[in-house]
Amino acid sequence: MRTRTRTRGLRGLGLLAVSALALVLCSSCLTHLRNAKASYAEAGELAQRYQTEQAIAAYKRALAEAELEARKNPSAQAFMLKGLAEVNLGLWRDAETSFVKAAGLGFGEGEAWASDVSLLGLAISFEELGFEEPSLRAYGQLMGKSEFKPVLLAAAQRYADLTLARAVGLEDREKGPALAGLAKVIEKLESADFACGFYHYFHSQVESHRGDFRRSYEEAVMARELGLPSVKVLRDNDNQIVFCYDKVAGALGAAEREAFAAAHGAWAKRWGWPDARTPDWKRE
Amino acid sequence: MSKKDVESALARGVEILNEFLPVQTTLYFPILYSACVWAVRRVFDYRERILSWQVWLDPEAVLTKPDEFILHFFATHGALSRAYADEIAGRDLRALRVVFPALYPVCGLEDAFLKALFKKELDAGDYRRIAAEFAARAAKARDDIRPAAADARFWAALENLGAELAALGIHLLSDEDVEKAVIKAVKKKTAKGAKS
Repeated sequence: MRTRTRTRGLRGLGLLAVSALALVLCSSCLTHLRNAKASYAEAGELAQRYQTEQAIAAYKRALAEAELEARKNPSAQAFMLKGLAEVNLGLWRDAETSFVKAAGLGFGEGEAWASDVSLLGLAISFEELGFEEPSLRAYGQLMGKSEFKPVLLAAAQRYADLTLARAVGLEDREKGPALAGLAKVIEKLESADFACGFYHYFHSQVESHRGDFRRSYEEAVMARELGLPSVKVLRDNDNQIVFCYDKVAGALGAAEREAFAAAHGAWAKRWGWPDARTPDWKRE
Repeated sequence: MSKKDVESALARGVEILNEFLPVQTTLYFPILYSACVWAVRRVFDYRERILSWQVWLDPEAVLTKPDEFILHFFATHGALSRAYADEIAGRDLRALRVVFPALYPVCGLEDAFLKALFKKELDAGDYRRIAAEFAARAAKARDDIRPAAADARFWAALENLGAELAALGIHLLSDEDVEKAVIKAVKKKTAKGAKS
């Protein structure tokens, strides 16, 4: 009797253990997905505050959790999150695979994202191998059609840098039209998404190549106000502001210079700069 | 706290790095020095901090600049304007454009990883050496850290070292003394490595 009770008790305990184990496994699956989402959201917030290093670390955590989730419990959501974390870490090939898998599991936009990411990866490879023409064509294609913003921004940055690098070596009569063409492309991107600070940053860079330092200054200020994707770009944009400020102020008469300096001083104060020519991060 | 204790902890630190990184790497100094700085500030998330260093090396900003920007960068940076005084005075854009891609990320964008990697040269004002060795050293540093980064024991050992340095009261030493101690420990090891 006692033995039967003990056996029943043990069986009960066994069932309890199995249920507990299932619960733990299930909650660990849920935890991975939840952790991946939380880390991804945290990374976005950190990036917005220009804490780039911590943002990268959070994207890496999101990727690790999404990988665990995708392995244990493959779903469109898990692969989509994995792909997004990979995109933010510049792992284009891995992201393409993840989006293809997400599409296979029912994520509607997965196929288009995978195709955009694949084309971007190919264009970068072309550029690294020195095939500038095909890479420019591919970046241009993505800028015209991609609706996936991380790809669009990466393509625009590479397109602008590559076009500027080519323009630097040109004679003045060829350089002018090349830079005007690039400015037009950037303006088109801006008009589609005027609140994107990164586009104004590109525009500022192009205008300084064209020698229009006032316009370049205005675009750089707008870029800073609207927000930039990383601290590295923010710092480069700050250097651009200081450079343009010096160029513009140097070319003005005394009265105009005073008014310009006062306006710039107000911006500098708003950004917490110790003076008109020293960005806050240079104090560190 | 005694300076000797810190020196022995740093010597052990070099031994730890030696287990995971190639002997002739240029990474000993930036990693150990950063570990000391972080120990002073009592932050121990070394893994995240060191791994995110690599990100800075990827292109992201538009680094093709007009001649005027390049001249302005060299002319308005105190130490660089002295080091490249002749090129600036002669508007030698050909020469300045060659060294700009190396010096702008270090001195213009103040990249944390690169500043640590070239700390000795920066302190010595040897900007021409930075320009000459930039590409090779940055690429080597990135390659060298990759295998170690994948090993959890590396991070655990580094965190223990940081905790030990903090417990020894490294914050009571001057920055100069910490730097000297790190250089001494690294030199000792690399000299030994070169002999054997």
